[in-house]
Amino acid sequence: MKKPSKKSEIEYCKVCRLHHDHGSRHKYFPRHKYLLSTFLDRFRTKIADVRFFLKNPSVLRPQEQSQNRVWCVFCDEDIVELGSSFACSKAINHFASSDHLGNIKQFLSKNGPAMDCIDDFRITEANVAKWEKKCQSLGNEDASSFKGSCEQLSGTSNDIHNKLAFKTMDKIENVPAHHINVLPLQYNTNEYQISHSELPGVAHYGSYLNMDASHLPLRTDPPTNLPGNGFGKHSIPFRSKDYPSNQEEENKQIKGSYSSPVMTSISSSHSSDACGNVHSGAPPPWLDANDGNSSNVQLNQSDMSSFQAKIPGKTRKLNPNRVGAAWAERRKIEMEMEKRGHAMNSKVDADWLPNFGRVWQSGTRKESRKEFEKEKRKLIKTESISTESEPVEIQPYISKRARRESGENGSG
Amino acid sequence: MSSFLLKTLTKKEEIDRIIRDTIDEVLVLRFGRCTDTVCLQHDDILAKSVTDVSKFAKVALVDVDSEDVQVYVKYFDITWFPSTVFFFNAHHMKLDSGTADHTKWVGAFHIKQDFIDVVEAIYRGAMKGKMIVQCPVPPERIPKYQLLYKDV
Repeated sequence: MKKPSKKSEIEYCKVCRLHHDHGSRHKYFPRHKYLLSTFLDRFRTKIADVRFFLKNPSVLRPQEQSQNRVWCVFCDEDIVELGSSFACSKAINHFASSDHLGNIKQFLSKNGPAMDCIDDFRITEANVAKWEKKCQSLGNEDASSFKGSCEQLSGTSNDIHNKLAFKTMDKIENVPAHHINVLPLQYNTNEYQISHSELPGVAHYGSYLNMDASHLPLRTDPPTNLPGNGFGKHSIPFRSKDYPSNQEEENKQIKGSYSSPVMTSISSSHSSDACGNVHSGAPPPWLDANDGNSSNVQLNQSDMSSFQAKIPGKTRKLNPNRVGAAWAERRKIEMEMEKRGHAMNSKVDADWLPNFGRVWQSGTRKESRKEFEKEKRKLIKTESISTESEPVEIQPYISKRARRESGENGSG
Repeated sequence: MSSFLLKTLTKKEEIDRIIRDTIDEVLVLRFGRCTDTVCLQHDDILAKSVTDVSKFAKVALVDVDSEDVQVYVKYFDITWFPSTVFFFNAHHMKLDSGTADHTKWVGAFHIKQDFIDVVEAIYRGAMKGKMIVQCPVPPERIPKYQLLYKDV
């Protein structure tokens, strides 16, 4: 005999974001497995960003400390880098801690999958030690090179884009208004956005800093085709191929730079003069193509034809078992032929009746139609008979007794 | 007013044409008089809902006072006005609303949503090959009437 399944308590699954009473079976459900894989992949990308800074430690400026934060899904806490001098230092220490490891194990045992992916979500102490050494060496170099890099870059730059770009990044408030029309977003508001953005101008804590300049879509474009928010060509931070050697310092400079959306401007010179546009009041191109005939045709169509189904346009496959499918296909072909101008016997019989199941008839619909036609014929017959026959004289009723008495009186 | 927005049919040919030309969409034919108050209410609901159902349904009004249309009034056994008959690909669709007559909807709809739900139910049933569908309108909003056989 099958044991009745135990009713478990209602629990909340962090992965699926729903309450359930499946108990321990829930982690084997396919939907949960799928959501878990996406959940863990998202966290893996965050860890990858932090691991980048593990390999390449960099100084964290005080104004960017509040922006540099990571949410740990296993420990359910937000790691903010307040008071830390290097990027992601608190995050690195957290991911290396034993509490975090314990939480990972607990999460994986509760939600699956197997424990072999623990190392994906933590940082080993050996790596932390290496990172600390690098930080120490960096701390010594940083003080001397930090100031020099800015002048060096601006001095060697012949590219006006970068020159003003660095100025705007450091002293954005002091840029005169005529250089940029709109103040760009100074800092990235969402770390997730940063790590997944594909913007060339964004320097973030992730892997794009290692991106080869060939990945930048605009490296060889002439100035007219630069992306922009309408700022003007000169105010866009643009990482060009000209500075491969100074990439490291550049990263420090443009850390926390604003994100500009990648837009390509289309030169409007070729289209503006010929046909006009919406602003000049020119007619739209689709009307021009038909010389306005189609619009007239639309207006002059009869109301009945507006009820016609849009046959050529509908390309989606319809259920072949739907009601009246065979009739519909035949009718579509007929209508197509009529449209093409083929002489079809399209005159509908005056006695045509649709398929209808009547109220007081039983049996099939064909039978109900036949019965109706029979009734109609009978009605016509009776009407014709009544009109053809002579008018009947109406006489008063004489009872049998009265007739007998009158007969007796007559004979007697 | 809604008769200006919806097509009114007065001849059998027009009704035949609209039935034959509506393909893969529900055809809603309202049989009634444009002067009757209940018909007016019904037409108002239809006119307001016609755009919402335009992708899968067409609505037309039939004037029962027209001589030409009497054959359909008899064929469809229409005794109450307004009566709404549903077609899909020239096949009549029946609606089981718990009333005596499953072949049509008798009376006016209370709200737009009821009409839209009915048309949607018919469309879904028709696409699955059903010729009779369950009415999704709750019983309190279904008009009640007595169905008489030849005035008996």
